[in-house]
Amino acid sequence: MVAASQHPNITMMTWSEVEKVDGYIGNFDVTIRQKAKYVDYDKCTGCGLCETKCPKKVNSEYDLGLGKRKSIYKPFAQAVPNKPIIDHKSCRKINEDKCGVCEKICPVGAINYDDEDKLVTERFGAVVMATGYDLFGWQEAYGEYGYGKYPDVITGLHFERMSNASGPTDGKILRPSDGTEPKTVVFIKCVGSRDEAKGKSYCSRACCMYTAKHAHQVKEKIEDSEAIVFYMDVRTPGKSYEEFYQRALDDGAVYVRGRVSKIYKQGEKLIVRGEDSLIGKQVEVEADMVVLATAMVPSIGSAKIASTVGFATDKDGFFQESHPKLRPVETFTAGVFLAGACQGPKDIPDTVAQASAAAVKVCGLFSKDNLATDPMISTVNESICSGCAICQPVCPYGAIEMKNIEERAQGKTIERQVASVNKGLCQGCGSCTVACRSGAINLQGFTNEQILAEVDAVCL
Amino acid sequence: MKRIGVFVCHCGTNIAATVDVAHVAEVAKAMPNVAFATDYKFMCSEPGQEEIRKAIKEYNLNGVVVAACTPRLHEPTFQKALERSGINPYLLEIANIREQCAWVHSKEKAAATDKAVELVRMAVAKASKNVALYSTDVPVNKRALVVGAGIAGMQAALDIADSGHQVVLLERESTIGGKMVMLDKVFPTLDCSA
Amino acid sequence: MSVEQAAQATQTEEWTPKIVAFCCNWCAYAGADLAGLNRMQYPPNVRVIRVPCSGRTNPQFIMRAFQRGADAVLVAG
Repeated sequence: MVAASQHPNITMMTWSEVEKVDGYIGNFDVTIRQKAKYVDYDKCTGCGLCETKCPKKVNSEYDLGLGKRKSIYKPFAQAVPNKPIIDHKSCRKINEDKCGVCEKICPVGAINYDDEDKLVTERFGAVVMATGYDLFGWQEAYGEYGYGKYPDVITGLHFERMSNASGPTDGKILRPSDGTEPKTVVFIKCVGSRDEAKGKSYCSRACCMYTAKHAHQVKEKIEDSEAIVFYMDVRTPGKSYEEFYQRALDDGAVYVRGRVSKIYKQGEKLIVRGEDSLIGKQVEVEADMVVLATAMVPSIGSAKIASTVGFATDKDGFFQESHPKLRPVETFTAGVFLAGACQGPKDIPDTVAQASAAAVKVCGLFSKDNLATDPMISTVNESICSGCAICQPVCPYGAIEMKNIEERAQGKTIERQVASVNKGLCQGCGSCTVACRSGAINLQGFTNEQILAEVDAVCL
Repeated sequence: MKRIGVFVCHCGTNIAATVDVAHVAEVAKAMPNVAFATDYKFMCSEPGQEEIRKAIKEYNLNGVVVAACTPRLHEPTFQKALERSGINPYLLEIANIREQCAWVHSKEKAAATDKAVELVRMAVAKASKNVALYSTDVPVNKRALVVGAGIAGMQAALDIADSGHQVVLLERESTIGGKMVMLDKVFPTLDCSA
Repeated sequence: MSVEQAAQATQTEEWTPKIVAFCCNWCAYAGADLAGLNRMQYPPNVRVIRVPCSGRTNPQFIMRAFQRGADAVLVAG
């Protein structure tokens, strides 16, 4: 993280979103919305005084509700950039015009409650999409696990936050309900993954491994603990992965092959009822905590950004690569590349590999000063064009401009308007050719004559 | 006057097991404007492309039809082959007799062969109207935008930046790091994730 | 074929309609390729004409197909 923030060639734009993308490979004009931070980062020193004094506390998104944060906040202590923003939804000054403590206390006068979103447009030659994933909303789908009403049924990501030394529990694994240390922890894999009835058809790929890690961490951190994993298959296709799984088994993690059919509360315990399909019997476990390995799904807002930038998504909403084997980091839109879980569920080693692959594709593109454009674009026969401009609004890429030409007619030089195609913007869809009443526009490579010849040949 | 060469690919047995490729090439010889037709095991291979190159020279071809897999796969490959043979790459047409013929009619060999002939006839008709096209140059703006600053975005940004190009690393949250910074130690090495 | 011929032909089992499909290179044509990759089987009486966008399909092309004896035209994109 720090390496990225300190690199002289990298400009960070945090708290920002892509608003609009125009142009084409080598020349994308991207409008970026820089959301209001209410803090002037040029003045702010990141001292953190505002955050300590802010009286308003809300649930921390970063800690998935396991901890609290202030209204003016950094998501976590080592955030990059290490400067706060004001959450305008909860800030009392912005909403009720009360408080204003942070402005009073800031030693450099960096607080600005009147800050607004800014739009900036910049030109880029290539775009790398790396929007990542979110977790499947299991609460809506899995009634048998309690629809989220038991606080001690958590996801793997909650477990990560607790296990993390800088997390809300300082690295201790505790039951969210009462803060006690769980002795029996049950893990359920494939929650949402490989379950077409309730979730997704695909395998999320990373869960087998992180569940093995979690089981190992339970055994390591909690004395006399039990880690019981309900699984459908254990998939460990990666270097050192099978060995890692074996290590979890050696640590004493118990793997039960079967699905969990119900979780219910009995006193302080959660009763996990499932099937051990290897012995063909129903089993019940008295658990203190249950951790669900939930499916990876495309990051919230993926569909919107895919249509903004202009490329396709697959049946599950992940970004569509050009070819599953041969062009895994390209999209169908030239100059737009994919990295990481936005293309499909993957773990860290695969993500890093794919990110470097996308970077190489960008560098390959940047190794050229000029790019040859596809000549399969529309052309205007100016002598037939009547200048009616009907083609102009039809063009989805804004590639048609009207221009004036001079020509000789009946012994006089006259000036008249004709359509003209911008070679860089035209994507060769040919919609204009259909709209043109006088047949003045034709599409090179797919001319009217060519397609009619095909029709004739096929109807022979 | 158009002089078109037709090259029917077996794709190993992918096409040849269903479509009578020799028959397709034979029928193609009689199609209008066709000066040469043949079939070969793998048209995209080095010897396959050499076959095209030789025929272009020998028969002075000014149009090429390759009946093979989808143009979405190997059109660029064959366009380059034409370019190397000294003719304009846009004089190429592909007849998709694998994805849209052999593979989808694998139980109806006679009908698939008839369809392959028709697909070739279509491609020949189109190629008869093909003209040389020339691309123009547009400048490349050597700045990259990386959308999302999780592990994938940071890695891509660093790699591009290390190659000496400017990168804007865009993140919708107020900090970079993405999901990765929420994680504890990561498998299989159990080192820290920051 | 003429309407009478067609009416007669549909009575017999051998008759199959001739279908011309205009498919967008980026979606429907790619979809037809995907059907091939997955070895899905369909009747061989459909002929796909690749267009760069379904918007390229000039009504004139469709009329011409019917004129020349196509029984159905599919525009997919």
